[in-house]
Amino acid sequence: MFKVSNATGGYGKTVIIRDVSLQVGKGEIVALLGRNGVGKSTLMRYATGLISPMAGTLEIDGRTAPASTAKRVRLGLGYVPQGRFVFQRMTVVENIAVAAESNGHDGKASVEAAFEDFPMLVPKAKDLAGGLSGGQQQILALARALAIRPRILLLDEPTEGVQPSIIDEMAGVLKRLNRERGISVLVAEQDLDFCLSIAERAYVMEKGSIRLEIDRDSLKADAALQHELLGV
Amino acid sequence: MEFDYLATVLLSSLASASILLIATIGLAVVFGLMGVINLAHGEFLMIGAYTALTATQAGVPFLLSIPIAVAVTMAIGAVIEILVINRLYGRIFDTMLATWGISIAFYQLAVLIFGTVTPGIGMPQYSIKIGDYNLAGYSLLMIFVAALMGSFVYLLMTRTVYGMKARASIQEPAMARAIGIESSRVNTMTFSLGCGLAGFAGAILLPIVPATPSMGFAFVIKAFLTVVVAGPVTLTGSAIAAIGLGGGASITASFLTSVAGDVFFFLITAVLLWLFPLGITAGWRRKM
Repeated sequence: MFKVSNATGGYGKTVIIRDVSLQVGKGEIVALLGRNGVGKSTLMRYATGLISPMAGTLEIDGRTAPASTAKRVRLGLGYVPQGRFVFQRMTVVENIAVAAESNGHDGKASVEAAFEDFPMLVPKAKDLAGGLSGGQQQILALARALAIRPRILLLDEPTEGVQPSIIDEMAGVLKRLNRERGISVLVAEQDLDFCLSIAERAYVMEKGSIRLEIDRDSLKADAALQHELLGV
Repeated sequence: MEFDYLATVLLSSLASASILLIATIGLAVVFGLMGVINLAHGEFLMIGAYTALTATQAGVPFLLSIPIAVAVTMAIGAVIEILVINRLYGRIFDTMLATWGISIAFYQLAVLIFGTVTPGIGMPQYSIKIGDYNLAGYSLLMIFVAALMGSFVYLLMTRTVYGMKARASIQEPAMARAIGIESSRVNTMTFSLGCGLAGFAGAILLPIVPATPSMGFAFVIKAFLTVVVAGPVTLTGSAIAAIGLGGGASITASFLTSVAGDVFFFLITAVLLWLFPLGITAGWRRKM
């Protein structure tokens, strides 16, 4: 359902990812593993169209994705960037509502749905997003991405700087949404435990390319690879 | 007697602060919200004034000439954004050069079409008496106009879907696109809105500030300083800065001389920017 083929891209003339191909099936949760600086975030930005491609294509539901980021969102591509990038001087409600309204969904209903999924946002509803803690901002960024009603969700380091209890909650919600709404997820992570708890399959990146593809059980069994990924 | 004088000074100073705010709000949207230094802001004011003047001379009632002026400046603003500004976001100096060029072109165009001197429009002069003093009614009306204009922009930006999209596009342009906002279209709309507000200012101020090709210069410097002093919480900040700086300058001017008023304005601006380099609202947690 989501397929990147021979992606090459970077910033200016600097190539960061080279000839990357991967796919995420419908209703599948796939992890993108690798140490810092291997090109995971660049691949995510490539997929959203926020950086212009040097080569390669992206398919969503068998259709070649348009170049425009906003049009890719219409096709159901949701994105939670590393560093969250919530709209700081907008309230929690507005952050979610603007995402829904921009895709033709009712803002109020979407906010209510988001509050059901993430009750921890309710007491913060009228607060400016810039005043939330890191974990709360992460949850808000996730709620915002879900408000576009995505079919494929790209998560870039969602656990970075987030307290363990919120990470568990996030994993629970993601698994539930995946099960109930069939949302596919591609999650770039350094937190192996988090990935092993939600993903069935993983790609391991190294120096801007995919080094190998591995399923959850093999990864669980492969202590050497785990150590390498954790950088121990 | 003494009280009458004080009340007169206060009211007329509030009126001149309001006039400054009216001239500034368009810039608050374009510079304060979008970060575009539009050096042609004053010329949009001038275009608004000339449009209203031309319309009234053609027999259109003055009140009706105001929406015409807004429509014309919004349209020109949209074209300028698509042709020029659109390509220059994030390139402050290029934007300044381009808009400076645009301002010179508009100024010369106005000189060619209208000449350098134009008659004001004949408006019935109402005045209000406080004790022994007369206050021009139209200037006082500007206090309400400024309040209305400020509320309009505030509500537009905080209560409508367009307003949310506009603020999102400005705060995190890439992220706005990543949730499906066509930010280039929204930016065209916002720039055009800022120009329309300048056009509105030029038209509504026409009875007290006659249209001349160079009228933009008179406003643009103080308007810019007001927005810079205001800082990131643009609208509230601009209102406070306009009342403080414009009103203070006007009070100073009525007790001393108009030069002293300007000295007050620039001196306080310098001190405020020295104390708050990012604007007086830099530490505030507010939307607008």
